[in-house]
Amino acid sequence: MSKPARAGDAARGSVPFEDALKKLEGIVDAMEADDLPLETLLARYEEGARLVKICQEKLAEAEVKIQQLEKNAAGELKLKPFESSEE
Amino acid sequence: MSKPAKSQWNFGELFSPAEMRKVLSVSELTGTVRTLLEKQVGAVWVNGEITNLRTQSSGHIYFTLKDANAQLSCVLFNREKVTQRELLADGQKVLLQGDVTVYEARGQYQLIVRAVELQGIGALQIAFEKLKQQLAAEGLFAPERKRALPKFPARIGLVTSPTGAAIRDVLHVVQRRNPALEIILAPCRVQGDGAAEEIAVAVALLNRYHLTTAQTQRSNDSTKLDLILVTRGGGSLEDLWAFNEEIVARAIFESAIPVVSAVGHEIDFTIADFVADVRAATPSAAAEIITEGVFASREFVGGALDLMRLRVRRRMANEKENFASLAGRWSRLHPRRRLNDSLQRLDDLQSGLLRNLKTAVRARHVVLQNLAGRFLRAKPSVALKTRREYLRQLEKRLNSLGPEQVLARGYSITTDAASGNVLRAAAAVKAGQKLKTRLAKGEIFSRVAE
Repeated sequence: MSKPARAGDAARGSVPFEDALKKLEGIVDAMEADDLPLETLLARYEEGARLVKICQEKLAEAEVKIQQLEKNAAGELKLKPFESSEE
Repeated sequence: MSKPAKSQWNFGELFSPAEMRKVLSVSELTGTVRTLLEKQVGAVWVNGEITNLRTQSSGHIYFTLKDANAQLSCVLFNREKVTQRELLADGQKVLLQGDVTVYEARGQYQLIVRAVELQGIGALQIAFEKLKQQLAAEGLFAPERKRALPKFPARIGLVTSPTGAAIRDVLHVVQRRNPALEIILAPCRVQGDGAAEEIAVAVALLNRYHLTTAQTQRSNDSTKLDLILVTRGGGSLEDLWAFNEEIVARAIFESAIPVVSAVGHEIDFTIADFVADVRAATPSAAAEIITEGVFASREFVGGALDLMRLRVRRRMANEKENFASLAGRWSRLHPRRRLNDSLQRLDDLQSGLLRNLKTAVRARHVVLQNLAGRFLRAKPSVALKTRREYLRQLEKRLNSLGPEQVLARGYSITTDAASGNVLRAAAAVKAGQKLKTRLAKGEIFSRVAE
């Protein structure tokens, strides 16, 4: 779905929200179990903090990104910015 | 023919000789009218409301088609292939196709009905049921083919009017819950003639766009769509009708991308809703469903840092506690500690011992004192005197029992000098036997004379 061909994201070096979230959930779960060695616990915490930052960046997006699909004369599909009738 | 303005009684030109001669029979006139009507009017489409419908035993149906100001006699012959013939009833609005003619026998012009289209809500509902059954039979609504929506869509396609209420509602909800969501709008009309075709084209266009990445890896931007939302706001059955058309149903069915359908209000169910993978009650509800994954994760992400910190703190506290108790045990095991313990124990024992000794000595002391007391009370002089006394008494008694007193009276005891045996009988002695006689004072030794 959103995972396979995210060429753009890979190029920008960022992780899709879903992946970051899954990893974060995994880390929190692992930390809940008490049997991690202390060093691993701390390493996981750091990784988790990093993932939280990534997720929050995505959640902090302010504006919805909406574009309009059009077929030009040549039959090609192009995107153009959507002009809302209000605002 | 022109009528000259003359005296009303002058019929001169009106009834010219030639014309006055042509007298038509009723049939002829009627036939002329019939021909006139068939040629000039002929095949028509007319709409109105059925009244006065009656079916003859022959199967032919007669009714009057009326509107506010006029009415038209109609007949639907048995032989005409009209489906839904049984649905014709008084009050039903219909669109008829037929030929205008005259029923000469009655001198009545009428419409011979060739085709019927039901109109109004009733007609729409019937068409809806019909298509619904047909598509259901084909399996377009099958629950097994419905695809699950991705939980975290990043980019979606939107099929709706760019100016309607639906798009506004959708954008508001998305803004609130997941503004990072990218939306690709394929605009279309959502009601009226041709709207159904536009909707179908929009869905197909988005599918085409979705597939372009697979083929052309030109740009760095992905064109993958996670789902398509087909939506419009509330309206009457006629307004929503485009979403009940077959062409829309097939376009949704053939979409490679999962489709969410949100048409009208909660109570409106269109064929698009049945074919879609997910149906939402309203455009806002659809937007909420779509953004639920990300929105629900907000809280988790917001709290995750605190959760992890808490975990680490707790773990550190645990470790510290463990270490402290371990250190405690360690210090208790230290040899010096054991020595101290032993010394203390020794002290205890010593005190105990001393205490016991003291107690024992005191006890013996008491015994000794008791004995001393008793001893002192038991003085020997006293005892001696007592014994002497006793002895004296014994002596007296003895004396009273002894021979001294008897001897003192003059008696004597004579014994055999040799054996010491006491003599009681004179016959016991022999001549010459030596005898001893004890007197009160002294003894006499003698020999038996005879």
